[in-house]
Amino acid sequence: MLKIRAIKLEINTIDGLYGAEFSFTAGLNIIRGDNSTGKSSLFQSILYGLGFEELLGGKNEKTMQSVLKDQVEYPDGKLHPVNQSFVYLEIENKEVITIKRGITSDSRKAQLVDVYSGALLTGDKKELPSRPMYIHDKGGASDDTYGFHLFLAEFLNWDLPELITTKGDISHLYLQQIAPAFIVEQKSGWSDFFSTLPYFGMRNTESRVVEFLLNMDVFENEKRKQVLSSHKQRLLDRWNSLFISFHKLAEKSGGTLRGLDEHPVIINSFDSIYIGMLKDGKEITIGEFNERQKADLALLERQQTATVGENLKESEETLRKLTEQLNMWSLNYEMLSPELNYDNEKLKQYRKQLEDVREDLRKNKGALKIKSLGSELPARTAFDTCPTCHQSIKDSLLPSDIKQTPMRIEDNILFLEAQQKMIEVYIEGQVKLIEDKDIKLVAYQKQLSEIRKAIRDTKKELIQDERLPSVLEIENRLNLRKKVEFYGTVIVDFSQLIEELKALSDELSQILSRQKDLPKDFFSAEDRKKIALLQENFIALLRKFNYQSKPFEAVKISYDNYLPVAQKMLGEQLFYNIKFDSSASDFIRCLWAYYTAIFKTSIVFKSNHPMLLIFDEPKQQDMAIGNFKSFLLELSQFKQQQILVFASFENSDDSFEEATSGLQFSLTRIEEKLIKPVA
Amino acid sequence: MEDLLIKRLSFVKRPIPIPAEYRPMYKIALIVMILKYCCRGESSSLLKLHLFSWALASEKNMEALRNYVISDFKSEFSVWGVEPALNRALQFSVADNVCDIVGGKKYKLTEKGSRFFELIRADTELFEAEKAFLLFIGKSHITDSRITAITQKWKLFYVKN
Repeated sequence: MLKIRAIKLEINTIDGLYGAEFSFTAGLNIIRGDNSTGKSSLFQSILYGLGFEELLGGKNEKTMQSVLKDQVEYPDGKLHPVNQSFVYLEIENKEVITIKRGITSDSRKAQLVDVYSGALLTGDKKELPSRPMYIHDKGGASDDTYGFHLFLAEFLNWDLPELITTKGDISHLYLQQIAPAFIVEQKSGWSDFFSTLPYFGMRNTESRVVEFLLNMDVFENEKRKQVLSSHKQRLLDRWNSLFISFHKLAEKSGGTLRGLDEHPVIINSFDSIYIGMLKDGKEITIGEFNERQKADLALLERQQTATVGENLKESEETLRKLTEQLNMWSLNYEMLSPELNYDNEKLKQYRKQLEDVREDLRKNKGALKIKSLGSELPARTAFDTCPTCHQSIKDSLLPSDIKQTPMRIEDNILFLEAQQKMIEVYIEGQVKLIEDKDIKLVAYQKQLSEIRKAIRDTKKELIQDERLPSVLEIENRLNLRKKVEFYGTVIVDFSQLIEELKALSDELSQILSRQKDLPKDFFSAEDRKKIALLQENFIALLRKFNYQSKPFEAVKISYDNYLPVAQKMLGEQLFYNIKFDSSASDFIRCLWAYYTAIFKTSIVFKSNHPMLLIFDEPKQQDMAIGNFKSFLLELSQFKQQQILVFASFENSDDSFEEATSGLQFSLTRIEEKLIKPVA
Repeated sequence: MEDLLIKRLSFVKRPIPIPAEYRPMYKIALIVMILKYCCRGESSSLLKLHLFSWALASEKNMEALRNYVISDFKSEFSVWGVEPALNRALQFSVADNVCDIVGGKKYKLTEKGSRFFELIRADTELFEAEKAFLLFIGKSHITDSRITAITQKWKLFYVKN
């Protein structure tokens, strides 16, 4: 468990030493201070001492209030500039340590903390050994010697679980991510469950935090699920490269790949995947294509080779046909070639346009930023008014007699982005078009040179001795034999690829069925008990705090994210976030009940909760004093654990009396001002 | 044809997109950067501001000026543009107290202008290319006497033509 034993603020101003010091006990501690006495500064200092200031929405000293870093006001109206300031925080688990962290200091960065082994604040010894450590710096949380949070996790006996980030790396849960489950900050902490949770590129962190605090088994199952999905990702990559191999093979054979999906699917019939070849204007599979070639070859080989004379008539006819073909293909080629040049030129222009739009976009984004910088300054021009005559200048330097209204920069940026997207689509289309035409052009060229060769061969034959055997026929035969051989090897390669594909398809079906086998139900019996108790505690607390927005039968804890959900209508199967159906003050009751329920459940199961709750001004939304009292009464039952409640009690003694009469607690009263001169 | 008979037409005037160069704060930011990075005493003549403003308008212009400096002012350097938009931006920045006119002809950065510059400098992503270019040119290359020398050449050039 984590217990805050004492805190001390030490602020050196140019007019002397100021500060504050408080100690806390086990059980309920109420820190009462009227508005603007510095109650929140004290709360924030505790977070700062633990290195949890990211809950306040930032890092290091900039999250702290000005009284701790710029100037102390004491008494009202008299300011004392700060030279140097430190927070000391004494905490206990099995041992006691004291953390010292600078807020403003010339010599020390805010990332540096000193950890004293012992009670520097409440103990007698003022000389204790200390170790310097770092917070937040890169590696600060993983470097054994100097990482303060790693040290703190060890100090709390926390074995922080590993998660897979959205990028696929393994990272562990950070302490700052767990803290929102037991420390609730005033300004945004009461707006939602875990609302101050900092984002470190992990999904569903809230659920992981609850699982960790309740030490649930589901964590392991969740990890298995993630492992499986990374398997799937690798399969996807292999599928992609196999797909490319298929395509290359089809290209090499001069055909088209048919029937293979670009994305992994389980394939039942591998026959539907083939390379399609064109034969006499019709597409047939490469297997059939080669069979026909083989048949042609066999036919040729059975015949006796004719002599040139016998073939004379045929040869003349062939020559005529070939010439006709040559004309046709040349025409095609000559028409396509300038078209392609034109397309290439167009692509170049698109690219130039894209570059211009990108440049303009970059400048516009700069202009937008500058405008907000200028309004910080403040420059009147940044607010679209003329600094001299205070008339509107429409955010433009165009002469004022041009009667056009320019777009606002934001719209201008959206406009340019739309343009950019459009041009990108054009370019994509154009590239595809050019690719297709290129392929066609190459095919035409090939066809042309084949026809030319055939014409040459036929002519050669026509002028040969009529008694000789037809060279053309012999050559034809040889060529055909070569082709049959070539397509034979392509078919072998293809069937090898098909084998690989079969393996991938099998693997995919395994992964999918293993994914299906993953327990929908990741929960162990013990997990179920924990969630059931969490729910029971939560509802019991809602009842105590007088929650009214929903009947209690309609409320439960979700097994998906462990947050409270409610049915819209009783008996319906759909559940919604409880926030939607709760009134503002009832939602605050939900937050009280939820954080307390996790705490209570963890006590029963002796799980990882630090056994500490810190609430800053929990009485929100004009909550009735009676309900607030019920909350404090509930909190005061925990004698072994520690609870710190910072509250103003509407700056009224009566309210304070009403809310706390009869309760057992330790009171810390911040009188007048938190930070006072130190005698 | 009857289907196409249009009974009434109405026009709605929509805002038009304009280049970032025409945004007042954008131009003022450039002025501030030019004065800080490239001008001795953070003050400059009008013509020099026009030169830099012209250069920053496009990569091509920047390249030309860069080459001119690299070649030790021997390469061909054509006339640069003078745009009314810069003059208007200068008026705004004087009125907004970002810069001042000193001696009736020079623009000088004010204390507020310097603060604005610090804000611009602090954001490292902002105007990366522009900053790099201005830093490269620096304070010592393009001096007022250089500007006078170039403009002198223009006059000769045009007289000849």
